[in-house]
Amino acid sequence: MDPEDDWLVESLRLYQDFYAFDLSGATRVLEWIDDKGVFVAGYESLKKNEILHLKLPLRLSVKENQGLFPERDFRVRHGGFSDRSIFDLKHVPHTRLLVTSGLPGCYLQVWQVAEDNDVIKAVNTIAVREKEESLWPRVAVFSSMAPGVLHGARLRSLQVTDLESEKTTYTTDVSDSEELSSLQVLDAGTFAFCCASGRLGLVDTRRKWAPLENRSTGPGSGERWCAEVGNKDQGPGPSIASLGSDGRLCLLDPRNLCHPVSSVQCPVSIPSPDPELLRVTWAPGLKNCLAISGFDGTVQVYDTTSWDGTGSQVEPLFTHRGHIFLERGRMDPAPLVTTHTWHPCRPRTLLSATNDASLHVWDWVDLRTSC
Amino acid sequence: MLDCGMHMGFNDDRRFPDFSYITQNGRLTDFLDCVIISHFHLDHCGALPYFSEMVGYDGPIYMTHPTQAICPILLEDYRKIAVDKKGEANFFTSQMIKDCMKKVVAVHLHQTVQVDDELEIKAYYAGHVLGAAMFQIKVGSESVVYTGDYNMTPDRHLGAAWIDKCRPNLLITESTYATTIRDSKRCRERDFLKKVHETVERGGKVLIPVFALGRAQELCILLETFWERMNLKVPIYFSTGLTEKANHYYKLFIPWTNQKIRKTFVQRNMFEFKHIKAFDRAFADNPGPMVVFATPGMLHAGQSLQIFRKWAGNEKNMVIMPGYCVQGTVGHKILSGQRKLEMEGRQVLEVKMQVEYMSFSAHADAKGIMQLVGQAEPESVLLVHGEAKKMEFLKQKIEQELRVSCYMPANGETVTLPTSLSIPVGISLGLLKQEMAQGLLPEAKKPRLLHGTLIMKDSNFRLVSSEQALKELGLAEHQLRFTCRVHLHDTRKEQETALRVYSHLKSILKDHCVQHLPDGSVTVESILIQAAAPSEDPGTKVLLVSWTYQDEELGSFLTSLLKKGLPQALS
Repeated sequence: MDPEDDWLVESLRLYQDFYAFDLSGATRVLEWIDDKGVFVAGYESLKKNEILHLKLPLRLSVKENQGLFPERDFRVRHGGFSDRSIFDLKHVPHTRLLVTSGLPGCYLQVWQVAEDNDVIKAVNTIAVREKEESLWPRVAVFSSMAPGVLHGARLRSLQVTDLESEKTTYTTDVSDSEELSSLQVLDAGTFAFCCASGRLGLVDTRRKWAPLENRSTGPGSGERWCAEVGNKDQGPGPSIASLGSDGRLCLLDPRNLCHPVSSVQCPVSIPSPDPELLRVTWAPGLKNCLAISGFDGTVQVYDTTSWDGTGSQVEPLFTHRGHIFLERGRMDPAPLVTTHTWHPCRPRTLLSATNDASLHVWDWVDLRTSC
Repeated sequence: MLDCGMHMGFNDDRRFPDFSYITQNGRLTDFLDCVIISHFHLDHCGALPYFSEMVGYDGPIYMTHPTQAICPILLEDYRKIAVDKKGEANFFTSQMIKDCMKKVVAVHLHQTVQVDDELEIKAYYAGHVLGAAMFQIKVGSESVVYTGDYNMTPDRHLGAAWIDKCRPNLLITESTYATTIRDSKRCRERDFLKKVHETVERGGKVLIPVFALGRAQELCILLETFWERMNLKVPIYFSTGLTEKANHYYKLFIPWTNQKIRKTFVQRNMFEFKHIKAFDRAFADNPGPMVVFATPGMLHAGQSLQIFRKWAGNEKNMVIMPGYCVQGTVGHKILSGQRKLEMEGRQVLEVKMQVEYMSFSAHADAKGIMQLVGQAEPESVLLVHGEAKKMEFLKQKIEQELRVSCYMPANGETVTLPTSLSIPVGISLGLLKQEMAQGLLPEAKKPRLLHGTLIMKDSNFRLVSSEQALKELGLAEHQLRFTCRVHLHDTRKEQETALRVYSHLKSILKDHCVQHLPDGSVTVESILIQAAAPSEDPGTKVLLVSWTYQDEELGSFLTSLLKKGLPQALS
């Protein structure tokens, strides 16, 4: 019996549902458009990349009577071609527009998803404040009557560009050259940033630059950090998670960014082969639950409920190893997870993608509740 | 005509194709040279008896041997459901099915079949189901490949589709393949195993209604493998009707299964499993968990329906439908969500057991179509059953990635394709040697201009040198000679003019043989230049330049050169 078969038998117990797909090109992007479709995009540097709008298999997207729907395949609903590699893609809510960012970091591309055919067409570009050769601007979208795109590769180049008028409606007015790693819009006027150094901040765009932030980035330099702010439904407790390339995971309360509520060490293989791929996400449908990826071919899910103190070792609630075991020849190099995302409605369903173009959709079983 | 399927979504005449698209008047037999059926699924052969016996067609119908054996069984089953169960009126009869099958000519894989003196067809392995084939249709040097349904990855009992680099002008395939990204086979199998395992773990019974030659074999192998691996003791049964039929057909068509099956078959009976035993009617009443494969596949009659009736009332049990069910069958009803079924004698059956619809059919996806096109290397691809207006991205992707033209006609639309006709011509060795002697090496990618004479005799095309052609045809070669007069202003005698011409040309044409003959004329290769003095004007001399057709280029060059005049005399 080969290890793949062994893992498959194990998987009967570990997953409620499991789907595995082979994309034509690897993606670093998994962006939802409603709860029935995702966007993926290629990031190769020397050839044309595809942006695809994939409709989830019926079996996954129907709410009732799943057993009566045999369809387990993704449908390519829309597609487009990009000459540049795409490292980030954001959908502008309530519109048919997308914004992408990649290398070289000279501009952002705006796309339109057609209504009556299957084309994703490039329509416009957004100029960046500062052209960079090897850094690409992070992107987040303020959705409102007049949507605006927040973008920048460094703190000083952060700005908001109004999509329709193309005017700059906000700039940071600082000279800080720190490199950004995550950018997240929290509501109509505030956003959160995380620098590669681990410096975190919450900014109100209606006021002059005076972010709530942490200054001390902790001992040891050379690590790269990313972060995500959970939403209000997370419950009480720290809602900001910050992940470092040395495997440290810090939980912070937005009211006190200088002192993390807890700091743990995750059992991951370090150093991460590509710290830019690090990702930490809060589960939208579960309390105190987050997922991390970017260290190897796994995605780890943690329950942060009883975390406290500093430096403790924690164990994941669940580890997705499918990318390592499924459909791989013995000579293939180990895969690396490039990105992951939670399904907006199904509490324990995630999507994960790797650098060898595989895409998994999996619904893990919480072994604590099943006997 | 490629395939002749039933549209499973309709109950009235719309389920049959509209054959008036082929011809409005006149007999179909006169219009069609042949009909090709790719495999036994009803959406590819379901309308065949209607077409041949009710609309009227007497020409040949080509299909593979397994398809020929299995088609009539499926058609008869389908007829029984439509007529006996639903009381349909405008439907083909059992006799019509028999008469239709009499027109069938069965073909082997990779066998070139001459339909007539112009048209030939060849079948290729398509995977998908037992006997499924892709067909190459050829007239002269033009050809079309129709894929039918195919699968590019092998499964547990069938191999993968394969075609050689036949380079057809056109490849016709389904658009579904190009817009789908398929879930892996492992995950589908996992889903099936999970459902079966969960049901038997809680003490329930699993019924899997199957068609003898569909997925039954595949699923049995899967369960056997995992029962062994997980050391399970729960009994698995299959109904005897299944074994006999399946064994019989697989034995007949062993070359159509994959390597693994062929190896095991030699050692033992196909259905001799360690964990799977023959079913007895009485077992259905046994307590405790079990898994049963029973025919027929749509729960419309027989053993599977009997078992279903016994087990439907218990919510611990499960029925897994592995394929499409035709309207009117119990299978179709429960897959539509019906939970109360009216059986014979007005009895109402409440269905409390779990109903699972699973698709095991092996289809290619976007990746698969790229692979197949890569194998066959067609000039163009034509996608059917899609909506062209909506598929611009897809068209671009195929045209860019595969470097072929892509067509997507709507139903009823005619597509005309320009084809690059290549006419094979035999070149004589003599001519080839002549060309090689010119010293230029042939380049693989650049077309080479060859001069010769094309002789067409019967259907034979030969390119030979002109000399050989003249010889073969017993003709004498004509000589063409051009003469041109060039007027020069020169007061000297014509002999001196000729000498000047000679010196001038000798200095310029260093690569050519320039001679001054004793009679005063100048020659350059075969070109002759003579100076003459016209009587009217002593200050003018006339040069007569004459050359043969073979030296046309040099002759023209010399003429324009001389027209420019001679340089001032150098003593």
